[in-house]
Amino acid sequence: MDELWKNSIDRLESRREAVLAAGGVERIAKQHASGKLTARERMEALFDDGTFVELNDQITSRCSDFGMDKKKKPGDGVVTGYGYIHGRVAFASSQDFTVGGGSLGEAQAMKICRAMDKAMEMKAPFISINDSGGARIEEGIDSLTGYADIFYRNTIASGVIPQISVIMGPCAGGACYSPAITDYIFMTDYAQMYITGPAVVKSVTGEVITSADLGGASVHSSTSGVAHFVYPDDLSCLNGVRQLLGYLPQSNEDLSLNVPGTPVDNSAALSDIVPADSKKAYDVRNVINSIVDAGSFFEVQESFARNIVVGFARLDGQSIGVIANQALYMAGSLEINASDKASRFIRFCDCFDIPLLTLVDVPAFLPGSQQEHGGIIRHGAKLLYAYSEATVPKVSLIMRKAYGGAYIAMNSKGTGADIVYAWPIAEIAVMGGSGAVSIIGKKAIEAAEDPAAKRAELLAEYNDKFMNPYIAAEHGYVDEVILPSETRSKIAEAFRMLETKDRTLPLKKHGNIPL
Amino acid sequence: MSKYRITVEGKTYEMDVELIGANGAVVAPAPVAKAAAPVVAAPKAAPAPAAAKPAEVGSGSVTAPMPGTILKVLKATGDSVKAGEVVLILEAMKMENEITAPVDGTIGSLNLTEGSTVAGGDLLFDVK
Repeated sequence: MDELWKNSIDRLESRREAVLAAGGVERIAKQHASGKLTARERMEALFDDGTFVELNDQITSRCSDFGMDKKKKPGDGVVTGYGYIHGRVAFASSQDFTVGGGSLGEAQAMKICRAMDKAMEMKAPFISINDSGGARIEEGIDSLTGYADIFYRNTIASGVIPQISVIMGPCAGGACYSPAITDYIFMTDYAQMYITGPAVVKSVTGEVITSADLGGASVHSSTSGVAHFVYPDDLSCLNGVRQLLGYLPQSNEDLSLNVPGTPVDNSAALSDIVPADSKKAYDVRNVINSIVDAGSFFEVQESFARNIVVGFARLDGQSIGVIANQALYMAGSLEINASDKASRFIRFCDCFDIPLLTLVDVPAFLPGSQQEHGGIIRHGAKLLYAYSEATVPKVSLIMRKAYGGAYIAMNSKGTGADIVYAWPIAEIAVMGGSGAVSIIGKKAIEAAEDPAAKRAELLAEYNDKFMNPYIAAEHGYVDEVILPSETRSKIAEAFRMLETKDRTLPLKKHGNIPL
Repeated sequence: MSKYRITVEGKTYEMDVELIGANGAVVAPAPVAKAAAPVVAAPKAAPAPAAAKPAEVGSGSVTAPMPGTILKVLKATGDSVKAGEVVLILEAMKMENEITAPVDGTIGSLNLTEGSTVAGGDLLFDVK
């Protein structure tokens, strides 16, 4: 090798070393000391072993204001590239907190956008790992425009490829909106997200609050509903991302992986899990686990709006989305947060052709001024809209209660359910007996010599007539009344038949879901 | 738990498989270092015990999760309770909702009688 080759190779090697050195030994040690992995270690953990390929490692900021030309770092605070997850290609970006606090400038945004564009062209999922102090102030509005470039791509890619955001450190201000546009947000216990941080909150409102209480993982998973999954640390969190992707197709033109599981039919247990007395509660997750492939249920947003349970599962190896009323919490009634949670999940499944299984045991929409003033009309409408709009196979099982508008909102025949099953204990009616008798029997009760006896008589009559699934079956709103022991086999058979379902919406730019 | 090796489209995966019990409960296997395959998603946690979790306003304070009628009062002020123990039953939304103690301790401020109505968010009792 001649001298010129040697010098050229030395130069490349030292540039490569500079990239891998990231923010330096001290900052990496600090990152590790706080229990976190570095940006590259996260990529290694996310992808199948040894498959991560870095792209554009040399991209650097062109900014020279405020002495930035002296501080510039190769890679500009983000690692981007691709790799394989369960053997399928995926693209990702991972902000490097050790390099300039992971702050986002023009060059960092360009790197992220390049990777997103590749994901779109390859029709592959995009995963964005966030650990950044925010906009790079020295780069001014070029930095802000960098965020805009990312938001724009997130929006265009929505419904085409699955997009997953992983928050593993600070994510503040404008940085929150890319994750918010993507399909799923994962957070670690030490991550925070907020539009304005505790210091600004204090100076503007006087409120003193810690960053964890303002926007920690617990707040966003249980109160705000911003985050979908929370894990204690980086490794378990990235494992969760891998697990989720196992249920999803690569894009809206792809099919989900069919992975033969262990088809165990536990339907016989269902009549022990669900009390026939509809006033008694039970955990609907036990019902889900008895119907779907053993151990395949993967719950989404488990701590938010617990009155409805949503998540992915497999039935005979095929990915499905499950939506179920949770009798254990707020009697399974529908309210604002449950409507939002379920609607978004239904729409995600519809985007990516994942069939929907709905398990119904719903007393009503929750009454009260808090709900009305909070806009339950427009929030509840999302649920009706999402179910009606979804063209994927839709199967319902009415387990017990199905009352009033809430019954109609839970994937009823009229809103496009393909197959509706009901158990013999189902109660499908416009409203509960007590309320109905007070209205339709008002005059008869008032005129009776013994109003209480008349009321009891009318109630017994109403309950006998309506507290069952047979009127709905006679009118065609229920396709078949089935035994609990037949549940899994009937549902699996329905989805098998529905595999070739071909229903399209009329041509339009897009609908106008009530937001 | 049994270990299986399966091959999907030429790629080999190792997975842990376990049967679920008659009651549908699944024991969660500990997550492995890397999710091996999308075969059987490791469930995150076994289903919670069958008890309604009421909203908490402070440590040990229990408020009504929704408007309803008190059907049964099973404990009284001064009684000691364990976390998860049923203190009263709130009939609301066509359901007898069990309201449980959020923590171990002694019941305080329980002034409800059977048949009294409560609004969503009303303080039911606290546990100290």
